[in-house]
Amino acid sequence: MSRTDTAPTALLPRLLAGDRAAIARVISVLEQGAPGTAELTAGIRPHLGHAHVIGITGAPGAGKSTLIHALLGELLARGRRIGVVAVDPSSPITGGAVLGDRVRMGEHGAHPNVFIRSVASRGHMGGLSRSTGQIVDVLDAAGFDTVIVETVGAGQSEVEIMRIADTRVVACPPGLGDDVQAIKAGILEIADLLVVTKADLPGAEATARELKDMLQLRRPAAWTVPVLRTVGTKGEGVAALVDQADAHCKATGKAKRLAARPATAAETSSDALVKRLAAADPFVRSLGIACVDAGPGRARVTLTLREEHLNFNGSCHGGVIFSLADTAFGLAANSRKHIAAGIDAHITYHVAAKGGETLTATAEEVSRSRKLAVYRVEVRRGDGQIVSGFTGTVYISTATHA
Amino acid sequence: MNKPLDPSLLDTRDPEQLWQRQYAQEIGRDRAISNRSGIPIQPLYTAHDFDPAARAGDLGLPGQPPYTRGIYATMHRGRTWTQRQLIGLGTPADYNERLLALLAQGTTAVSLIPCNSVFRGYDMDESHFELLGTCGAVINTAEHMDRALAGVDLARTSCAMNDPSPFTLLAFLLATARKRGVNWSAISGTSNQSDYLSHYVANHMFFRIALPGVRRILGDHIEFCNREVPRWNPMSVVGQHMQQAGATPAEAVAFTLASAIQNAEDCIARGMDPDQFLPRFTFFFDVSVSFFEEVAKFRAARRIWARVTRERLGAKDPRSCRFKFHAQTSGVDLTRQQPLNNIARVTVQAMAGIFGGLQSLHTDAYDEALSCPSEFGARIAVATQNILREEAHLTDVIDPLGGSFYVEKLTDQMQAEIERVMKIVDDAGGMYEAVESGLVQRMIGESALRFQQAVDCGEQTVVGVNAYQVDEDPRARPINTRPDPEAMRAHLADFARFKSQRSQADVARALGELARAANDPNDNIFGRVVQAAEAGCTHGEICATLRRELGFGHVQAIV
Amino acid sequence: MNQDMNQEMRPKVLITKIGFDGHDRGSRVVAAALRDAGMEVIYTPPWQEIAAVVKLATEEDVDVIGISSLATDHLIVPKLVVALRDAGLDDTAVIVGGIVPDEDEQMLLDAGVSRVFHPGSPLQDIAQYILNITPAIRARRAAV
Repeated sequence: MSRTDTAPTALLPRLLAGDRAAIARVISVLEQGAPGTAELTAGIRPHLGHAHVIGITGAPGAGKSTLIHALLGELLARGRRIGVVAVDPSSPITGGAVLGDRVRMGEHGAHPNVFIRSVASRGHMGGLSRSTGQIVDVLDAAGFDTVIVETVGAGQSEVEIMRIADTRVVACPPGLGDDVQAIKAGILEIADLLVVTKADLPGAEATARELKDMLQLRRPAAWTVPVLRTVGTKGEGVAALVDQADAHCKATGKAKRLAARPATAAETSSDALVKRLAAADPFVRSLGIACVDAGPGRARVTLTLREEHLNFNGSCHGGVIFSLADTAFGLAANSRKHIAAGIDAHITYHVAAKGGETLTATAEEVSRSRKLAVYRVEVRRGDGQIVSGFTGTVYISTATHA
Repeated sequence: MNKPLDPSLLDTRDPEQLWQRQYAQEIGRDRAISNRSGIPIQPLYTAHDFDPAARAGDLGLPGQPPYTRGIYATMHRGRTWTQRQLIGLGTPADYNERLLALLAQGTTAVSLIPCNSVFRGYDMDESHFELLGTCGAVINTAEHMDRALAGVDLARTSCAMNDPSPFTLLAFLLATARKRGVNWSAISGTSNQSDYLSHYVANHMFFRIALPGVRRILGDHIEFCNREVPRWNPMSVVGQHMQQAGATPAEAVAFTLASAIQNAEDCIARGMDPDQFLPRFTFFFDVSVSFFEEVAKFRAARRIWARVTRERLGAKDPRSCRFKFHAQTSGVDLTRQQPLNNIARVTVQAMAGIFGGLQSLHTDAYDEALSCPSEFGARIAVATQNILREEAHLTDVIDPLGGSFYVEKLTDQMQAEIERVMKIVDDAGGMYEAVESGLVQRMIGESALRFQQAVDCGEQTVVGVNAYQVDEDPRARPINTRPDPEAMRAHLADFARFKSQRSQADVARALGELARAANDPNDNIFGRVVQAAEAGCTHGEICATLRRELGFGHVQAIV
Repeated sequence: MNQDMNQEMRPKVLITKIGFDGHDRGSRVVAAALRDAGMEVIYTPPWQEIAAVVKLATEEDVDVIGISSLATDHLIVPKLVVALRDAGLDDTAVIVGGIVPDEDEQMLLDAGVSRVFHPGSPLQDIAQYILNITPAIRARRAAV
């Protein structure tokens, strides 16, 4: 690939032709919010809707990797071209990740009709479903017949990710038992297909029954959710799974997924712009603040508190909280074309925060005129408790961002 | 900085208390020391740490359960350990040349390491040419084995074949024996490192066929050998791989004993009698430079195995309860920097193994960390063993460290740590389950990372690497020996000729029988491998057939 | 490093083994160390085919490929570099770690390998090297 071929204008036609390297490069551009993001997002938009997007999740130990391995085999046997987005939600302590899902797909990863992209969840948080959605769109536009989004877990972030799929599959191991009641996050509620994996083990029958009982509580809908059974190691039940997924797609279609895409061109370019500004801010970097999500007039940033952020009481220093809130404020205010400068800010501290906690500051635009804008920022702890409230006003200049 | 001694503190009649106080005063800041297995090490050990009178039963005598002091009454004084040096390079003729030289220098047994292409299950014409014969002998047929062992009396020389499932090298050896008119009942040796569990976990070199498949083949192999090659040890349970992969010495023993239990239980499930197969179980261990820890490790292993075989596996014959092991000096302790220092390291490791009561020893060449060892290095490695035995007279006394307060206490502590880890494996459902789920791999990975961090931060010294470094002249390092490309090309051409001239019908029939056996639990897969070897099938063909029927061996990638 | 690094700037590194050797203690320890240094690491089992490595590097758009080599597998690393170039991955850096005889080190560097790390190299050095070279790799890719 020569230098000129990597320009966004050159990447797009190659992407649409299914060129592997171009697909990968476009995904990188969008992930990094690099120059070309807006053009590529817009260029992809008209080409969406061919792929059947299947989301698959399940708690760790659900045998999901084995299931997906068997699923890929079945789809390849049916002549499909498959794109896979493997989301690896590993621990957020160091910021790094080992992206292991791809390797568990074994020899299928080397098959020419398979394209696998791994995504680390860290640092994305609320923005993870957006990034994953972007990658799904790229694979859709590139012409894959099936796009599998694979993630692990049954929590809120997994629910968000599953929303970007046409068909949502949740894998449950035998003996789920009490956990069926315990899963309140809604992952089972949004499932279109339920699969009891490792169905040759004792307890599979009982688990299938529990799931069926739980389904009775749902509102009746056009699509009846089947409870399937698979033995991934032997490939049993996988053909039926594909058949059901196809049937679901036929019955309910893709319109809902396409309509739910939040990223308008303006959204995407705001997000990219804000992330670029955050990256260029030495103070933000020195504190260790990460910008996770932004749009026109809004921004969300996070900070995991370290020892140097604490005061003599062992709580988070008020200046740090202020800086975090002020960062969200400044980014939200600068998320549009014009450069904005803060002229007034107030903060109230409600409760203390301790070392090791991760604080999130979310800024929303309260009002905006040609010259002035007001933002409200809330700083919350990981458990949702509000730590601080902040209000700020900016003066909007005529100068624009580079 | 010595403070004047405070006389009042020294006023005590108890000599031990006196020593403790003197020590505390003089040492200043003492540091907490633990060995590699995490066991804290005191500055001094006394009768309080081990009372021989009270522990006579656990200590025992050589040749008597629990075998703490040695599995034979005579140990090395009666019969010295087997000097079994691992070698392998180039073509069969290259291997044969080095083998005969080593035998002349005093090694007493054969150990054959095949080329990595063979380890992966491929013939030479399926592999990257650059890599052929660089780290092992390229042996793909019975004829190659015959050439490699030319001039070796198979009825009198013990042969260890380093070849994982489906053990084609032994099959080639048996075919060669038959051709030479040597009865299989005279063949002795070991299917070295035949333990598929350790391969799956740690030395992926050896893993070719899917896990359930290799489990079955090993059972068939043990049954066949016990019946047809009675002096052969088909089961070599391996601790070396895990220790080399980063397991602590105690973990390595624990996982190995757990593997042995798993393999034994699999045999019992097939209806085999423990007293029939257990005497032919051998162990293969790493021995590191952590001298006392290694000695204690082996003594503890003997004690545990003696009890496990009797109480858990139902052995009645005392010969079933003996922990027989081959030790290889640990390559991971050797450095690339100042390589001649490795001679000192290997000497310490060998001594630890000898005092630990090994039955057979391989000493590494000093240039092990640079490339595949040179002939020069291999010679020094053999000489090291000769010096230890005949100049240092290390074989004159059986278990000379027995009774040492330190060594006995450490043996107890190593035993406790080993049993703690064995319980973790038991709780996970046994070694097969623990390995399939990745538990063992994760534990080993954590130990490996911890050790590397200790080295990186200077807590654990490695001479020449993180301390006592010197600027070295790279030209002082020995030149790498590579096989002669011309000889290898000739070997390839010869191989092609062989394949075209053999009976294709015989080959097809033998591979067909092999494939059928793979799907028939009543047939013996290894028996069919031997038949295939005699019919002229190649190593790659045999492996390919079994991979097709039983599944390709994928290892998990666990970080 | 670590938290200070923007998500987008975290190096994406492939740690893998080609050829025949199966000893992977070193590569596993390096992969863990790079993860702890805040990078995104794809770690594969040994015996990867060169074509499969190129496909993976293409799809995941990795910045650096770390090849762990014990035995003599480093002898086929030049083949990998050529395969990467043929696939258009000129900017992806290849580093080799493990036992590489001195006389082969220059051969590897001449063939396009960026750096060889010998046994005894502190993990920190490997991580720092990757952090140092990644911005230039990204910049070259973004250039039009």
